[in-house]
Amino acid sequence: MENAPPTNIKIPKKPLSIRLLKYKWFYLMFIPVLAFVIVFYYTPMVGIRYSFTKYNLIRDPVFVGLDQFKRLFSMPNFWSAFYNTLKLSIVKLLLNTGMAVVLSLLLHEMVNLKTKKLAQTIIYLPHFLSWVVAASVFQLLLSPTTAGLFNQVLLKLGIIDKGIYFLGKSSWWTPTYYVINIWKDTGWGTVIFMAALSAIDPGVYEAASIDGAGRWQKMWHITLPALAATILTVLILNLAKVMNLFESAFVLQNDAVMDKAQVLQTYIYYQTFNSGGIPDYGYTTAVGLFKSIVGMILVLVCNYASKKVRGRGIV
Amino acid sequence: MKKLLAFTLVIGMLLSLVTISSLAADEVVKPDKIIMMVDATVVTSINGRDQFEARWEELTGIDLEIIQPDHDAYYDVMQQQIASGDWPDVLILSSTVYSSYAAEGVLWDMTDAWNNSATKNSGRFIGDSVIDGLKINGSLYGFAPARGNGCLTYIKQAWLDKVGLGAPTNYEEFLAVCDAFVSQDPNGTGANDTYALAAAGFIGFEAPFVNYLPNFYQDAYPFFIQQEDGTWVDGFTQPAMQGALERLADAYAKGYIDPTTLTNGTKDCRNKFYDETTGIFTYWAGTWGTNLKVNLEANGHDGQLVALPPIAEVDAYYDRVPPVWAITTACENPEGVFKYFIDTMLDGGDMQMLWTYGVEGTHWSRAEETILDVPYAAGQFHMLESLEKAGTAYTKNHIDPMLSLAAFAEGYENPMELTVKPEAKLSSQVFNSHSKLAKIVPTTEVMSMYNGDLTTLKNELVAKVAMGEMTFDEAMAKFETDGGLAWSNAIVDSLNALN
Repeated sequence: MENAPPTNIKIPKKPLSIRLLKYKWFYLMFIPVLAFVIVFYYTPMVGIRYSFTKYNLIRDPVFVGLDQFKRLFSMPNFWSAFYNTLKLSIVKLLLNTGMAVVLSLLLHEMVNLKTKKLAQTIIYLPHFLSWVVAASVFQLLLSPTTAGLFNQVLLKLGIIDKGIYFLGKSSWWTPTYYVINIWKDTGWGTVIFMAALSAIDPGVYEAASIDGAGRWQKMWHITLPALAATILTVLILNLAKVMNLFESAFVLQNDAVMDKAQVLQTYIYYQTFNSGGIPDYGYTTAVGLFKSIVGMILVLVCNYASKKVRGRGIV
Repeated sequence: MKKLLAFTLVIGMLLSLVTISSLAADEVVKPDKIIMMVDATVVTSINGRDQFEARWEELTGIDLEIIQPDHDAYYDVMQQQIASGDWPDVLILSSTVYSSYAAEGVLWDMTDAWNNSATKNSGRFIGDSVIDGLKINGSLYGFAPARGNGCLTYIKQAWLDKVGLGAPTNYEEFLAVCDAFVSQDPNGTGANDTYALAAAGFIGFEAPFVNYLPNFYQDAYPFFIQQEDGTWVDGFTQPAMQGALERLADAYAKGYIDPTTLTNGTKDCRNKFYDETTGIFTYWAGTWGTNLKVNLEANGHDGQLVALPPIAEVDAYYDRVPPVWAITTACENPEGVFKYFIDTMLDGGDMQMLWTYGVEGTHWSRAEETILDVPYAAGQFHMLESLEKAGTAYTKNHIDPMLSLAAFAEGYENPMELTVKPEAKLSSQVFNSHSKLAKIVPTTEVMSMYNGDLTTLKNELVAKVAMGEMTFDEAMAKFETDGGLAWSNAIVDSLNALN
């Protein structure tokens, strides 16, 4: 018993000055990052105060308390944009993550290294196209006229008898939006999952093979459980960003589908540039602040969920 | 004696009047420096802005500082500049921003200065109606040296010949042409691959919102309009809108209007016109008359176009409110800036030449030389090759000579005849003879509050009715339930409260 290792040993903390001196190069390297965060992330938060004012950039801001929030809560277009933001973002996130997992598993199963690399390159490529270019390409591909390749194929196959305006009809816009998003971002989403898959010990697969496990069983009992933590992390991290939806919705929306395609960021955009006068920046800041608060709540909920599921949080 | 006294008094009064007026004129102090903010409608740095500035300073003896952000970022940068409190003396504004800034007290009231200006009283000024159109509640806060221009309908003559129809004069004939352009293979490919026309959306992004589809909107206007009795109404809620939307829906259903009109940009529409997908195109008057012809010919097609006078139901095309030059209330010497900057722009001489064509030796010349393979004799006016785009020649500086509101002074050579192509001239003439000025809509606080949501809703309903997704009655019911009618009424009330 005398040789048993002591427990609960408290290592005395060295004074701050000594610690600072010891790690001075780390702190020095951290200064630019700290400056960047302060200048670009925290200083702009001073602008939050405008959400409690009426402000048109010409006259001094006039404090109006919570009036801007009362106004936005009374606007049906705001709630429509809020609903669309959550719906489009969350469904997109689930679809993209699900597809990325499936694609990663398929790629993981590929034996020929050259073919695998080629496939990876091809599926990564759309991620590097700007949304403006992607939207132009799909507007052409999905055009209901003779210029629209997709409609022409469907017509030739006899599936439809008249071109469908995929991006111009409310009923078609949302599914089309999801498909374009899957096409553009799924490939890139596989990067993390492929990294996680490559970290699985091959010995586990070998042992499973010796035990008589087939390919499906190995995937179900080894691969997917090994990926579960990564899937959860990816979902949680991306859930925190769902309120920031803008570019993809903005470039693909048009007048006829605004009831389905208007999201909070585009709502702010149109309030600013479509007001027919000088916009009230107090109102648009209030919308932005509300969006940030909802985003923050989502992060905290996710963090709580992560603690429950994984035993540790993400923030 | 009495007569002598009376005569002396009259002479005395006249002398005093002359003295007072000369004193008043002398009160305008010449500024030492003027700070101007402008977009790329004045020659940019790469195109010889320094030479423009030097020439302007040479003509006035005043130091000119030019703030010229990127064209696309102009209004962002300008609003930031205003927000910073560091206002320029004079700046250029679009009609929307102009009325907003006037309402906010950013702009100096130049009504009196204009009424006493050399330009207005020159005898060469032909734009009184344009200037009147810029007045907000009787006061003038900005000056436009040129008309705003607008769109007119071009029809391919070759297509008309092919289907055996003449230029339409009323809506019935217009529909007949549309029908023939869709059904009679006017491009000769043998395939059913034509539409009568394409447009960049069913409703424009800015006033006048109907200018790309005037033949369908006719007397309807989807924004706020002032009636003859001075009261304001929302054109979207007026009876004429039903007819307009039903005409659009009918034409769309029959395949006259390009099915992708909703998602078209103006470039898409031009390309469809050039590649013989469409035969009718409502687009800008003037220079574009030439551009369309040149591009059609460059694509191997007949470039002859009919610049169509408005059909009977349209009455007149809309001439948009032009961008204006305004003096800010922060300017320490607004009378001086008006006199030496704004009132010289259309002086009929060297300054007007500078604003219209640029700087001799940089943008134009009368030297004997060959420019872009075209030889010019000594003394012959010609534009020079662009410093930015090699292979193309300059066409103008800030003022489009075809839209200028004042002629050059008698005896001063006007080179317009030498620089403007016949198609552009014809297009401009047709438009000028058949256009009406769009009116400035004042901005109110209520409008700033609701118009963003209202415009989004109106545009959605117009598109849905035009594409057959909704009937007009369903659209108006949605307009009411979604709050559009309430916002519209609130804005109308706020506008009428200004009267």
